[in-house]
Amino acid sequence: MENPIITFDNVTKEYTLYKNDHQRFVSLFKEVKGAKKHLALKDVNLKIYKGEAVGIIGANGAGKSTLLKMITGVTFPTSGNVTVNGKVAALLELTAGFSAQMTGRENIYLKGYILGLTDEYIKQIEERVIEFAELGDYIDQPVRTYSSGMRMRLGFAINVNIDPDILVIDEALSVGDASFKKKCKEKIAEIMKKGITVLYVSHSKDGIQEICNRAIYLNKGCVMYDGDVSTAVQMYNDRKK
Amino acid sequence: MFSIFKEHRHFGKQILLLAKDELLKTYKGALVGPLWAVIKPAFTLFVYWFAFSVGLKKTGDIEVLIHGNNLEFDRFLFMLVGFIPWFFIQDSILMGSKSIRVNSQFVTKVSFPVSTIPTYTVLSRLYVSLFLSAIMYIYVLFNQGASLYNLQFFFYCPFMFVFFLVFAWSTAPMSAISRDFENAVISIMAGVFWFSGIVYNSYDLPEPLKTIMLFNPINFFVNGYRNAFLYDRMFFEYKTELVIVLAEFIVLLFFGLFNYSRLRKKLPDVM
Repeated sequence: MENPIITFDNVTKEYTLYKNDHQRFVSLFKEVKGAKKHLALKDVNLKIYKGEAVGIIGANGAGKSTLLKMITGVTFPTSGNVTVNGKVAALLELTAGFSAQMTGRENIYLKGYILGLTDEYIKQIEERVIEFAELGDYIDQPVRTYSSGMRMRLGFAINVNIDPDILVIDEALSVGDASFKKKCKEKIAEIMKKGITVLYVSHSKDGIQEICNRAIYLNKGCVMYDGDVSTAVQMYNDRKK
Repeated sequence: MFSIFKEHRHFGKQILLLAKDELLKTYKGALVGPLWAVIKPAFTLFVYWFAFSVGLKKTGDIEVLIHGNNLEFDRFLFMLVGFIPWFFIQDSILMGSKSIRVNSQFVTKVSFPVSTIPTYTVLSRLYVSLFLSAIMYIYVLFNQGASLYNLQFFFYCPFMFVFFLVFAWSTAPMSAISRDFENAVISIMAGVFWFSGIVYNSYDLPEPLKTIMLFNPINFFVNGYRNAFLYDRMFFEYKTELVIVLAEFIVLLFFGLFNYSRLRKKLPDVM
């Protein structure tokens, strides 16, 4: 079988909760004894292959966000290894990582560089992004002058136009008015057809059953089930009862 | 250990853009905008000059022993040349150490080369410093005339930039984790001014203070600018001073690299 595109190898993530600022200060120099720990993920083993559409389901605090943050490279495991082979487009916090004084166009480059793209490549996708975001002349205005809807459109447009290998989608994503929402849905469907890997995060069964062919049910940081969608959804619903 | 260098590769252009961005953020939205970059230091300089020459009645020249001779320099010129590096040092220490905390969206929301945050912050202060240096140089030209020693600016200024950049790499992740650390830096900086030879000549102190002062790197750069623009002295003439600052730089560099790689993975979790 081919190599997985995302591998979690015995991944554990523990957050340290400092009781007060004194503990925080001490933590700069040594391990703080008696600081509370919060176990967000425990011994997670996952292999996700190219072309899979994987739903991640679980209640608040189950570890979904932590899992995604590791895939997007924002946070790091306490122990174990996370390997991601490919470009990740995260439709999570679309307006994050913009620089408010820079123009929309400059921000396309900034985001592109953060994602590890080259100059030539960004130049190629630049027009596509601008067109998709429907920003018109605003593209050369500083992002601070944008409305929140415009920022989201720009964030979305960058993420879906970089030809990602992995697309991370949060169900709770909002991208503005109905017509743009429709456009986004169509765009997501279009890139999914190209056979990229999709991770879809949800609190509920809707959407997951529509999009995914595999689902992972997380509870309290542990993978409770990994397999077909209906069983995962069933288990999640049973737990709630 | 060398993750800082890895993070800076291929990000050069973005660092330049972000530094420009940082400047705009600081000065935009004000009536006279970038002029504040000049007005504020000019006013500071005036206040100190006023305190000394009017308040303390230290008018007239300041004597400096150079190559065995006591030379006299106008006190205002002496202070001006010393204040230019000090403004940069002060800004890069204060703004550098809080740089990661105030740019937290780059740490907690996206996968970003975090060590470049102090870099573009300190770089933006360098732009301001170059501008102020140009103004200072015009004043120097009118008073002293040009000299080949002036070219040493191109040694002192880049070295000063790198030195305090490395310093910011060490302090910024610590300030991001603990506000107490940042406050400690701010409090110390308030006093450091008087422990550095900016309004007085640190070479002129009695022993052992004079030797102790050699361990304050700020003195190296303040005296360095004076070497270049006033004293006509080469940077390697005072060897003990040069060796001490180089040694400090190497220690700081290793500490900065080590400290950053130690704290990098902690940052997104605690910010």
